[in-house]
Amino acid sequence: MSSGAPMPPALPHPDDAPGGAAGAAVPSGSPPSIRRRLARAMLVGSLLSGLAVAVAVWLAAIEEVDELLDDTLQASAEVMRSLLPSNGEPIVVAAPTRSDERFAWQVVDASHRVVMRSPRAPTEPFVPHQLAGFADSARWRVFGVALGNGTRILYVAQTRAERSETQFEVAISSVLAALAVGILAYFWLSALVRHEWAPVQRLSDRLASHEPFAAGATLGVAERAELQAVHRSVDQLGQRLALRLAHERAFTAQAAHALRTPLAGIDAQLAMCLREGSPAQQPRLQRVREAAGRLQRVVAALLTLFRSDAEPVRDTIELAELLRQSADERVRVDVQATLPVRADPDLFAAALANLLDNAQRHGAAHVTVSTPALDTVRLDDDGPGASPERRTALQAALDAQAYDGVSGLGLTLADLVARAHGGRLRLPAPRDGRGFAVELSFGSPAQG
Amino acid sequence: MRLLLIEDDDILGEGLRDYLRAEGHAVDWFRDLRHADAARGEPFDAWLLDWQLPDGSGLEWLRTRRARGETTPALMLTARDRLNDRVTSLDSGADDYLIKPFAPEELAARLRAVCRRSAGAADARVHVGTVVVDLHARAACRDGERVDLTAREWALLEALALRSGRIVLKGELERLVHGFDSEIASNALEVHISSLRKKLGRAVIGTVRGLGYRLDDTGP
Repeated sequence: MSSGAPMPPALPHPDDAPGGAAGAAVPSGSPPSIRRRLARAMLVGSLLSGLAVAVAVWLAAIEEVDELLDDTLQASAEVMRSLLPSNGEPIVVAAPTRSDERFAWQVVDASHRVVMRSPRAPTEPFVPHQLAGFADSARWRVFGVALGNGTRILYVAQTRAERSETQFEVAISSVLAALAVGILAYFWLSALVRHEWAPVQRLSDRLASHEPFAAGATLGVAERAELQAVHRSVDQLGQRLALRLAHERAFTAQAAHALRTPLAGIDAQLAMCLREGSPAQQPRLQRVREAAGRLQRVVAALLTLFRSDAEPVRDTIELAELLRQSADERVRVDVQATLPVRADPDLFAAALANLLDNAQRHGAAHVTVSTPALDTVRLDDDGPGASPERRTALQAALDAQAYDGVSGLGLTLADLVARAHGGRLRLPAPRDGRGFAVELSFGSPAQG
Repeated sequence: MRLLLIEDDDILGEGLRDYLRAEGHAVDWFRDLRHADAARGEPFDAWLLDWQLPDGSGLEWLRTRRARGETTPALMLTARDRLNDRVTSLDSGADDYLIKPFAPEELAARLRAVCRRSAGAADARVHVGTVVVDLHARAACRDGERVDLTAREWALLEALALRSGRIVLKGELERLVHGFDSEIASNALEVHISSLRKKLGRAVIGTVRGLGYRLDDTGP
């Protein structure tokens, strides 16, 4: 099988999650949050509507208070007119009992002189000309009514400052109330969104632990009408995938049988040939058997790797024991393992066999197997190695999973096996600058 | 050892039969379960079973046999490589499990191990006086000297050593050594017994008159 053989890229890569060094195009940053956007919109909406209500209330309050004060002024004038003598006799005006008297008044005669006034009222008339009805001066809001025969006019007035103060007090309390309602609405809506968002969160939790391939797996009843479509789609997707998985499983089982049995037959027949063949034929038969052995290792690795449920099942690898079992007479192996390696034994054995095979075919006679870190295995061989440029190119091809650029199935398989565990294959600089080094990391078991 | 091999693939079946015969075993090879059932009641030292056979499952066949109380060691030969399959097959009564493709050398070694375990021989050596029968090395020593044995002689000695301490009937012993296929001369067994006695000493193999033979482990 050449390195250009098509490779299904669909192996699980559990570490392509955040933090993984995958070169795949992952959009940077997180997408916009619906909740955050809703919260922002509600905050702005609540404040704006609160503000709009406040402005409306402000205007209405000022208008209404204005009218109310005018009504009061007019009523006071009417009351005073009925009390004042109509013949022009002066009346005694009691001194004001309160210094902050709200009203001031004047009686102006026909020649526009002030003939009577309240203590707070100015000595000059409120308005320059005799005037019945409402009038404004710089300081006063005035209401004038004719007295008696109409030669005199009674002015009742209120300071404009006082009126403004009253208007402001009424308006500001109304505005504050409107704004408070806006802010309360914001908090209430936020709580509502949080509450309504919870079913979506729970659905996402359920999806995270959902096993679509389990028998009769469904997501259950949707908590909200809007989520029913999601439930339906996920259930249908699960069913489709389960069906496809079942087909693939059946196919790989058949393919495994169809490939493995003849290989076993070839080996058994070759073993007999070696027993029965003449001494002259032995070396050639031996080579054929070695080739058959290599074919077996590759097929076993491919079948293990590409079975559709290639979830690695981790176990602690007994490196020395494994290497004894898969002993390859053509290459001597030293084990210097100090740390445990937890990986799928079948996948690991397949990767190791093909890496050793690779080393041997590239001229190595001796391989040292070590464990530089937890769940990491390193192979150093004594072959001619590769130039640093070639090594960099190989590493780049492996990182990008561009296996066309990698010669030999050994590295490709080992990389796929490492990736299936959430790890990577690295090509470190060889020790002493000689030979070729390969480092297989299997990630942490929590990822695998 | 006498082996029952059920394997539907001609190339593999023939290769294994010939290889195991060359190793000195008597092999009866069947391509399906129907024919294998015809050999029911025959004494076998081990069963070698393919899982998927044209007329059924080798594992089911084994399960049925186990349910009947048959304890012959069984080795599954199968293309199924999943952990689940291995566990199922061991739980169904298989003593060992080999995933295709495998080297016939490994099959032979595992067979020896399985039979040794089933015979309860921990160190794989049976002692009869000064004679040591090493089931693992497939060799016999007398007074520390290795004795040269023919394939048939070894097969005979091994059959008795694996059943040390009990009488092995003559007919059973013949079939254990030769299987169904081989043409056997009526006195072939006696000839081999007598040559074994010549090489190892008369006392090693006892005759139970009218019944068969026995070999007693006297311990080291």
